[in-house]
Amino acid sequence: MTLLQVEQLKKVYPDGTVGLKGISFELEAGEFVAVIGPSGAGKSTLLRCLNRMVESSSGTITLQGNTITKVKAKQLRAVRRKMGMIFQGYNLVARSTVLTNVLHGRLGYMNSLKGALGLFNKQDTELAKALLNKVGLSEQMYKRADELSGGQQQRVGIARALAQRPALILADEPIASLDPAASQTVMQTLYEACKADGIACLCNLHQVEVAKKFATRIIGIRAGEKVFDGAPEQLTDEMISYIYEGAKHEEAVGRKETA
Amino acid sequence: MNIEQQYMQKVRKQRIQWFVFIVVLLALTVWAAIGTNFNLFVLFSGLSEGFSFLFHDLLPPSPATLPSLLDAALDTICMSFVAMILGSIIAAVIAMFTAVTTTPFPRLRYFFRAATALLRNIPVLIWALILVSGFGLGNLVGTLSLLIVSIGMLVRCFAEALEEIDRGQLEALKATGASHLQMITSAVLPQFMPSFIGWSLFNLEINIRASTIVGMVGGGGLGFMIQSGIKLFQYKQVSMAIILVIVIVLATEWLTGRVRERLI
Repeated sequence: MTLLQVEQLKKVYPDGTVGLKGISFELEAGEFVAVIGPSGAGKSTLLRCLNRMVESSSGTITLQGNTITKVKAKQLRAVRRKMGMIFQGYNLVARSTVLTNVLHGRLGYMNSLKGALGLFNKQDTELAKALLNKVGLSEQMYKRADELSGGQQQRVGIARALAQRPALILADEPIASLDPAASQTVMQTLYEACKADGIACLCNLHQVEVAKKFATRIIGIRAGEKVFDGAPEQLTDEMISYIYEGAKHEEAVGRKETA
Repeated sequence: MNIEQQYMQKVRKQRIQWFVFIVVLLALTVWAAIGTNFNLFVLFSGLSEGFSFLFHDLLPPSPATLPSLLDAALDTICMSFVAMILGSIIAAVIAMFTAVTTTPFPRLRYFFRAATALLRNIPVLIWALILVSGFGLGNLVGTLSLLIVSIGMLVRCFAEALEEIDRGQLEALKATGASHLQMITSAVLPQFMPSFIGWSLFNLEINIRASTIVGMVGGGGLGFMIQSGIKLFQYKQVSMAIILVIVIVLATEWLTGRVRERLI
């Protein structure tokens, strides 16, 4: 069964800016797909439409055979917990411990009040500790999240997403704020974790070389449209320059989109 | 017309505006002073009488009255403290509904805002007068009026603090499938704690000062002692009470400063 099916997904912002102009693609379990394209092309909007952090204007999203475009409340929580999300700015709760941040990944499974009071059960705590071990941060477990370096924080972000036991991970520019060495570690950690557990990953990237190195498939987006979808070997230099062509023009649109 | 001329015209216009402004301001001041019989000479003649009252009647304070004042001082501190603790908890809950970042009902935001603005904008003295007519004289009225005004002030401060928190942390929790309540406790509270503590301590300082005023209209504590001392011409007791107020205010400021350093 296809894991994720996106059909004619469109997003028009209230001010008239068009974020997505009807994007369709499918994602199989275990695929590692890189989404490339210039700033403002709509990569971030695409990812946020999938877990409904941003409401799409039209089109359908089907996850594991269920249409999730309109689900609400409890069902929406259940959908979101199946998709882990990783952010460019890490978005860890800065004043909480590293372990607590990973445990946040379990909130979607818990009764609202129990989760609100932070009453995580023993299995959840064991899982969180094991995941921190997996991303190589056992030593930092009881430190405050903001005491960690950027690369370490992003690995906590990965552990948080993995704690959801997701079917899919959405990574929004996970290495855009990191130096090359930390970027390498973060991408390696993400790639290996997904591969080991058969988790599919949709990863927005700026760096074409990184996309080519890790991805099993690459999707190119330009001005809200899908202009490339294929294996990394098929991505020619001409195609790359076509995807990024006119990037300057679209930056103006991009600023509106992220504002 | 060239740029130079345009500029000179602008400068001339501004000069005229300034001139008119100053003339109007002076006229208003003179008119208001005449209307209220304000007169600098009266001010100076009153000054000597004020000094004689200060040095002959008020000073020196009578230490003999201290034991009877200490009870009242304790009342003042307790009223302010209770109003701060209850006020900050209630205000924090209301602020969660008021701040755009945390409210579960965006449409009700303005209702909560308006309601707390009402609490805040009616002076504490008026609240005390209203409550005295309902509950009679005493510490309860003092505590209640301080509580009402504390909630009014703190909701505003808390809501502003809540609107400045990092939304990325909320977004991340929402994306895990967390409920609204879970988001509040796991992502909002850790960020909100420093301002919560800071503003609550500041509120304690304000309450201590305000409690004397509230006491004077029947709210109990040191203010009440000052008021009754004035009525009974017990000025040495009044000055002792005033000194106690100053000591308590300074001590609170020092203490809250220390706590703030430690916690934040």
